[in-house]
Amino acid sequence: MITLLKSGKLYDPAHNKDGIVQDIYIRDGCIISKPNHNEHIAHVYDLAGKIVMAGAIDMHSHIGGGKVNIARMMLPEFQETKGYGDPEAHICTPSCSHNATPSSTDTGFRYIEMGYTAAFEPAIMPINARQAHLEMGDTPMIDKGGYAMLGNDDYFLRLLAAKKDQTAINDYVAWILHATQAIGIKVVNPGGINAFKFNQRRLNLDENNVYYKVTPREILKSLSTAVHQLGIAKPLHVHCNNLGAAGNFETTLQTMSASDGVPMHLTHIQFHSYGTEGDKKFSSAAAQIAEALNKNKHITADVGQILFGQTVTASGDSMMQHLNAKHANPKKSVIMDVECDAGCGVVPFKYRDQNYVNALQWAIGLELFLSVNDPWRIFLTTDHPNGAPFTSYPHLIRLLMDKTFRNEAFAKLNLDAQAMSNLSSLNREYSLYEIAIMTRAGAAKLIGLDNCGHLGIGAQADITVYTEHADYEKMFAKPDYVFKNGELVVKNGTVTKVVWGTTHTTKPAFDINVEKDLSKYFDKYHTIQLDNFKISDDEITADGYSSLVKHESKARAN
Amino acid sequence: MLAVAKSNLMNHVSIKSNQCLAICPACGLLCDDVLVENNNNKIKVLTNGCAKSVAFFEQSSGNLSSKIAGEPVPLQQAITEAAHILKQAKSPLFSGLSTDVANFRAIYHLAQKTSGNLQHLNALSMTRNLAVLQSTGWQTTTLTEVKNRADVIVCIGTDIVKHNPRFFERFVWVENAMFTDANQRKIIYIGENIDTNPAISPLMKSPSLLACRAADLPEVTLVLRALVAGKRLKASLVAGIKVSDLQAVADKLKTAQYSVLTWVAKDLDFPHAELTIQNITETVAILNQTTRAAGLPLGGSDGDTSANNANTWLNSTTLNYEPFEHDCMVWLNSFNADKLPPTSDYPLIVFGNANSQLITPPAVFIPIATPGLDCNGTLFRVDSSVILPLKKLRKSDLPTLSEVVNKIEALLA
Repeated sequence: MITLLKSGKLYDPAHNKDGIVQDIYIRDGCIISKPNHNEHIAHVYDLAGKIVMAGAIDMHSHIGGGKVNIARMMLPEFQETKGYGDPEAHICTPSCSHNATPSSTDTGFRYIEMGYTAAFEPAIMPINARQAHLEMGDTPMIDKGGYAMLGNDDYFLRLLAAKKDQTAINDYVAWILHATQAIGIKVVNPGGINAFKFNQRRLNLDENNVYYKVTPREILKSLSTAVHQLGIAKPLHVHCNNLGAAGNFETTLQTMSASDGVPMHLTHIQFHSYGTEGDKKFSSAAAQIAEALNKNKHITADVGQILFGQTVTASGDSMMQHLNAKHANPKKSVIMDVECDAGCGVVPFKYRDQNYVNALQWAIGLELFLSVNDPWRIFLTTDHPNGAPFTSYPHLIRLLMDKTFRNEAFAKLNLDAQAMSNLSSLNREYSLYEIAIMTRAGAAKLIGLDNCGHLGIGAQADITVYTEHADYEKMFAKPDYVFKNGELVVKNGTVTKVVWGTTHTTKPAFDINVEKDLSKYFDKYHTIQLDNFKISDDEITADGYSSLVKHESKARAN
Repeated sequence: MLAVAKSNLMNHVSIKSNQCLAICPACGLLCDDVLVENNNNKIKVLTNGCAKSVAFFEQSSGNLSSKIAGEPVPLQQAITEAAHILKQAKSPLFSGLSTDVANFRAIYHLAQKTSGNLQHLNALSMTRNLAVLQSTGWQTTTLTEVKNRADVIVCIGTDIVKHNPRFFERFVWVENAMFTDANQRKIIYIGENIDTNPAISPLMKSPSLLACRAADLPEVTLVLRALVAGKRLKASLVAGIKVSDLQAVADKLKTAQYSVLTWVAKDLDFPHAELTIQNITETVAILNQTTRAAGLPLGGSDGDTSANNANTWLNSTTLNYEPFEHDCMVWLNSFNADKLPPTSDYPLIVFGNANSQLITPPAVFIPIATPGLDCNGTLFRVDSSVILPLKKLRKSDLPTLSEVVNKIEALLA
């Protein structure tokens, strides 16, 4: 059965197509070349004048796992639960929500309604990976995947402290990818979550963890090298030390050099771009960070834009979240030490435009977007739900594409914050092509999803169709059509069919002897059996509708 | 220690083909080192068992036949009758919910389709903890951290072992702890009806016990919280406990490297117990201004942690206790045949452990496979961070709950 998307304007940066009018043919979930005359076309969609992009990919969004569920548990006030028999009940569930802590079901629905067809959970705690996959398994409509957190686990720090060679580290990293069914590796506050358990309250890049006598820099070097040598596409995902602290931009700048030129991705970099200038000792260092990003081609970053309103921050960074808990709104928080593996901190936040710090955070994020030159190396995120719920992406896109709209918003901010930002002097407006890079082609390239994020022959037919509108927020909030694996699943911004996406993983080769030492460690210090730590393929696919895709990794010599 | 000897033994015993290490769902600890043997489809616990796990693993396959009003009927007939009752009902209450994640999801979806509400059999005690989580939040830890770090453990209103028999054996008196000398750990109990024996250290050091009635715990924990905050008290005695003794506990906590304050919500069975739990968690918060400390809610049974987690991600709401109006009750109980439904004036459908002995025959009884024994499953440990895959250990002709629910849903459509 062939579907034809006729005469749409294609924004397909992977193939340098910037608004070119072209037909797309789909068969068996994939984009195919133009079929022969005698082949039957079952469906034709006339897309004349419509904007066509690949399905969007959120490369960093907290959609599943322990801390997200704690946020849901802790915040019953976020829920606008409707009665079961409510006549206007949404298609997704009888009690659907549009807030910062959507259920797994609503997560899938809200994403696909905006034309997103994949999202990646960036902080899977290995010991908790089974929960992350259970939740992602209950997330319909979109493809999923996750990055496993390392660098604060005692097993890894013991390897590093014992000066084990890089091969041993690589084997452990690869083993973790297999065991957790992840597609990338993340490090959160390198060494800091662990140090907090020893009562250290801050950890700078070249400061020792008091127990292991290793520094964040050594951790970053070791993990980024492992990821690179194992040939995983996704560069090491780095949440820098000193999140949210005034003056942390220096740590961020120094972190860029910690991998000696090996690719690294610095995540939610807005939260790491703060100076100490001005009366309030809190200022924008976006210019310095953007300049460094422009210069350091081995570094990519996503922004982690904040937007005003109620949300909740859910992070693995127990050290910094414990410090931030005093700003909680509503006034409550959960901080956890977890299993000699990592930690977590869940702190609700209400970002207010009349608050100096919040207003400046908003401006800093936008300054970063507008000052980083290469859209292939900067990604559109709000670090959902930490900066704002992902449902605010259409609004964020409008801020990037519409200078007048942006400046009007800026003019309403806290005046002291306005005085400390150069945002209104930045004239850049993102084009549709650049938005397509940031949210499609660039994200797919970064994670290594060869068949996603583009509209070429052989691509997975995840396709979003918009009507161009002067108000880009309206345009991106409500696509005309979304196709998932070639099937029409959204019409006029409303889900018409429920489908289940796949889970993306990568499984580099490793020496199974790594388990010898690991099982000794588990027997001595852990509280579960090594075998029970590992998640089998069957566990993910047993529900009958979930599936797994294994992406190749090609070992690199150095 | 006998327990240590057992685990050492494990490393040297080769496991026979009819043996395996099983994961025990009988309490919140989910011990996954229980060596069991299958002889002619009968399971026997060989090592690392406790009274709860032996009762769980060695239960018989039970009565396999479905019943309508106490009379055996074919499974399909019982399913048809259950669907018929649910179709009639305006607001069924799905209760018990003692099961694993996959089965909970199945019953959750059935509840959605039938406008039903959900209530776990531990809802009352779960709500005590959730009330604190939803009011101030808390700072907590997990069992592997306890094993490797805790140097002071305060058990408040509980001896833990009634609920989690192997707590001290597996997480306290261990041979190897990464960051502390396990033998030197300081154990302090506050409360009544406490079995302090499991807290005697391998060096034969006895724990401290500050005895008080459970009903006095609100006052005692409030004083401890005040003392940890550096407040001075005029009183010298609180609920029969010397304030100087509580001051000694406060000092111990303040100088500890990593203290753990633990409680079992079920044992705090008095009005507004959440305020006592909050005293404990706020004491932890104060301690964390200068040193490290953590709360540890223990207990957990009948898949309560799993049901609450799954409900939360499926619906963004927790399984708090609420007195739901209902006109039909569904009782779901996979694990423990002794847990029986409350009496109800309305039609009762039971998806139960095959050994369930119901006093009054329900309208429909369908025996279901027990996860971790008759079928695979997935369960959350009491600390919520660790999720383990339960294994099928014996042949069983019982349907899984998911299979039964799928058939009922097909009839409802």
